[in-house]
Amino acid sequence: MSQVNQVKLGAKFIADTPHRVSHDRCLWEARMRRDRVAAQIPEWEEMRRLASQIKLHTLSHLDRYLEEFETRLKENGIHVHWAEDASEHNRIVYEIFRDHGVRTVTKGKSMLMDECGMREYLEARGIDIFEADLGERIQQLDNQRPSHIVMPAIHKLRGDVARLFAEKLGSDPDIDDPHYLNSVMRKHMRENYIKADAGMCGVNFGVAETGTIVVATNEGNADISANVPPLFVASMGIEKLIPLQSDLPLFIRLLSRSALGFDITQYTSHYTRPRRGQEMHLVIVDNGRSRRLGTPYFEVLKCIRCGACMNTCPVFRRTSGISYDAPYMGPIGIVLQPSYDLHRYAQLPYSCTHCGSCGNVCPVRVPIPDYVFYWRTQIVEQHEDRLMHRLEENGISLVLHSSTTLSHAEKLGLWALRYLPKSLLNSGLNPWAKDHANPEPPAETFRQYYKRISKENKD
Amino acid sequence: MTESTTTTNARERILSRIRTNLPAAVQHPDVPLFEVGGDKIANFITKLESFDGKAVRVATRGEALKWLAENIRSDNRTVFSAVAGFEGNFEINDYTDPHSANTVDVCVARGILGVGETGSVWVTEESLGLAACALFSTDLYLLLDADKIYSGLHQAYRAIDLSTGRYGSFFTGPSATADIEAVHITGAQGEISLTVILIG
Repeated sequence: MSQVNQVKLGAKFIADTPHRVSHDRCLWEARMRRDRVAAQIPEWEEMRRLASQIKLHTLSHLDRYLEEFETRLKENGIHVHWAEDASEHNRIVYEIFRDHGVRTVTKGKSMLMDECGMREYLEARGIDIFEADLGERIQQLDNQRPSHIVMPAIHKLRGDVARLFAEKLGSDPDIDDPHYLNSVMRKHMRENYIKADAGMCGVNFGVAETGTIVVATNEGNADISANVPPLFVASMGIEKLIPLQSDLPLFIRLLSRSALGFDITQYTSHYTRPRRGQEMHLVIVDNGRSRRLGTPYFEVLKCIRCGACMNTCPVFRRTSGISYDAPYMGPIGIVLQPSYDLHRYAQLPYSCTHCGSCGNVCPVRVPIPDYVFYWRTQIVEQHEDRLMHRLEENGISLVLHSSTTLSHAEKLGLWALRYLPKSLLNSGLNPWAKDHANPEPPAETFRQYYKRISKENKD
Repeated sequence: MTESTTTTNARERILSRIRTNLPAAVQHPDVPLFEVGGDKIANFITKLESFDGKAVRVATRGEALKWLAENIRSDNRTVFSAVAGFEGNFEINDYTDPHSANTVDVCVARGILGVGETGSVWVTEESLGLAACALFSTDLYLLLDADKIYSGLHQAYRAIDLSTGRYGSFFTGPSATADIEAVHITGAQGEISLTVILIG
């Protein structure tokens, strides 16, 4: 597969001012709300530390907790399946549906099912999958992957949705009021809920002690999908476990506040047994996670998929999740995607300004900034880096090697600023000049200035 | 069908890879029962309203039933009630297909406990009668004893036993979405209005 060029895809979004401005504003508002609600909780930073430790504890005993979880699930009458990878996950889900004669499925959001490419797989086998979350449905109808893990269509403007719904759902193309568009969705989904043979959704947390899956949503679509049809199938990555019921409040308190800046989601739902007359299945999925457990970047497995790192990222806010062309985008995406396919995603870890903000807002303290460096090292060692990066890095390495070469380079830089023609300095040979003006050349380099001042003070 | 051979093998392979790759053991920390300050009932009402829910305060269960009788019109509306003493016109039994709850306009049910920190009401499959009725309704009314409001989520989770139930959820205000330009819209796919009748 070809390599994802986030810079190029992002440039397209940057050039589209109305979309970029709206996107940046929506995400920054979520980030500001997150700061306000976090500041209201005196123990916020302690909660982040504790949540991180609980996740580290769980990951360091993951085999034991998975077995305990499975035992409880089975006792509770939930069918448990294990999938090594995406294709096994998709096949298991398909076989459940085939054996039950399922034609129509309504589905709550699941990053894991997106990661597995499940919807396309099932659709190709004649099963109608209706994404039931508004943002996910918009993206499904537009044949585009979600651009954000909690706000899948946040890169779109209301006019885009109005046109899409008019074309696909027969709504009025001239009304772009989000309230109207929401009511179109409500009516549309009701028609599908009443004929749904099965419901699906993802999992935010699995509680090993009780065999419970926890799903946090806003719209009610996941709860309807889970509670109405006679068959309910959920999928969960192995890293979503927490040991105890008493661990849950910590994560529930952190999740929605970090994601959107609200105290909690409208529906924080717990499923321990199938409802009366229902059959319930849970597919536990690895797809590379157990391998990640043994790597230096294993703490990505702490991620609770809140999206806070995306909302705060200066690159993400201006380029949108679409530009990462991957199931996981933004800061967590650029340190997660290379582990699926180093070649395809080798450029993503360079889409980072090293501001460190993602690490500061992450509710479970995933050291994303450290992992950006980790992946860049891997990319260089595996020779997946681009020529330009290699030249830059080799050049910098040479210059920084000794203070003498650095001192010569400084003088050379000053000379270039003074005497090279502007046409050359601002040409394509200097990509930095594309978005920056070169500074006025100072009278001396900093080193010269420092030496002079030190000498003057001594005298 | 459900536990096929390949899946069993997958289970073994996954667990064995996990055991090979386990990171250094980390202790489970002691999590304090973080308290939330202020009056828990006042907090509950403020938070519920911030999520576009409504709160009604009555002194007794009898008053709550009277309030329901006076405020819920059942003419031309399908009303489901899981509350003894308030009659609806939509009946369920053990064999009711939840799809049929799609016609429910009004749902009256019980809340088990409330959370001051978030304005949430804990409901279960039993307290709702049939969860589908609440989820499909336009207007949802939940009766809640005011003395069952806990200050925060830590305290509320201590009062719940997940291991014994089926479906249990913290409902916080009516369904909502902000998926289009982050415009907040109350009333997405679940109930459009939520009223909590606080007793006591």
